[in-house]
Amino acid sequence: MWRNLKSIINSQYTILVFRLILGGIFIYASLDKIAHPEQFARIVYNYKILPHSLINIFAIVMPWVELICGIFVIGGIFVESSSAILSLLLIAFVIGLSVNFLRGLDINCGCFSTDPQGKKEGAILLIRDFVLLAIGLQIFFSNSQFATLTSVFNKLFTRPRN
Amino acid sequence: MDDGTAVMEFMRGIEKPKHMNRNFSSMFFKATGIIIFAFILALSYNSLSDRGISLKGAWSNKILSDSLIVPYSYQKGDPQAITLSEAMMEFQSSNTIFLDARLEFDYRQGHIKGAVNLPYEEFDEFYPKVAPKIAKDKIIVAYCDGTECESSLLLARVLREEGYQYLKVFFGGWAEWEKAGLPIEKGEGNSK
Repeated sequence: MWRNLKSIINSQYTILVFRLILGGIFIYASLDKIAHPEQFARIVYNYKILPHSLINIFAIVMPWVELICGIFVIGGIFVESSSAILSLLLIAFVIGLSVNFLRGLDINCGCFSTDPQGKKEGAILLIRDFVLLAIGLQIFFSNSQFATLTSVFNKLFTRPRN
Repeated sequence: MDDGTAVMEFMRGIEKPKHMNRNFSSMFFKATGIIIFAFILALSYNSLSDRGISLKGAWSNKILSDSLIVPYSYQKGDPQAITLSEAMMEFQSSNTIFLDARLEFDYRQGHIKGAVNLPYEEFDEFYPKVAPKIAKDKIIVAYCDGTECESSLLLARVLREEGYQYLKVFFGGWAEWEKAGLPIEKGEGNSK
């Protein structure tokens, strides 16, 4: 059974599906943040982790990092570096959520609350991020070149050796 | 095959030796390039977009006086912000209603004595039930858990649109009130 699971997870088709899922989710998530930077900055503020002077610059740049890496991961350009960046972002999100989960901060309003409903929502977000992180790391470690633009370019532009 | 070997094989499958041969400096270089590219695109878009925001936001609390600190989003023209001692004076008045903007769960754990619960986040659900308890000719003092919390201000702004005129916001909120040892109650108790 382990062997089957291993071959499924490492299959180039699975990695392609993982790339589509991870890239798709990050592109989707980034577009709304790019369109509404003020609201996103408020969310960053509500996490109460970054120093005030860095909140806006983070809210401006981070969605573009997500968008570019999402496009690259799907298209197969610098997949390793892009998936590494997305994985690091997910680790940062997990840390941010966990810190607030532990200190009882409701990130919807940036206020301290003991409401278990808020904790439940936080837990769902954490699980989602962990699943995405596992997908991101698997893309990173698999190093699959299947259906990537990089491999297409390599085929087109690399001269055959004599 | 025993399970121990199977697990080892599974792990080996994930961590293939080819990873060790990777060119990490090239990967790091590309990653840095991606980040720089993102920075350039983001800053350009932000400066061209109508919705662009300033690079450095004003997120710090504003200090209006020694005893009055308000959140960054408090603006001129917003309902009057009041201090703890002013809130205590209002508490004595029979013409004042305290409104707790926190979630119902937090309200039940403890709130200012006699306060009515109207969670800002669930305004649409709560307002029809709560509206009969808060007459428009009364003075309404909104509060949430403390200065860092904006729900009281946001609630007061929404109520102003509903036609309430005598609105005040006690930013010190639950934290300051409880710390001062002032009258509190738990559970539903909606009567003063």
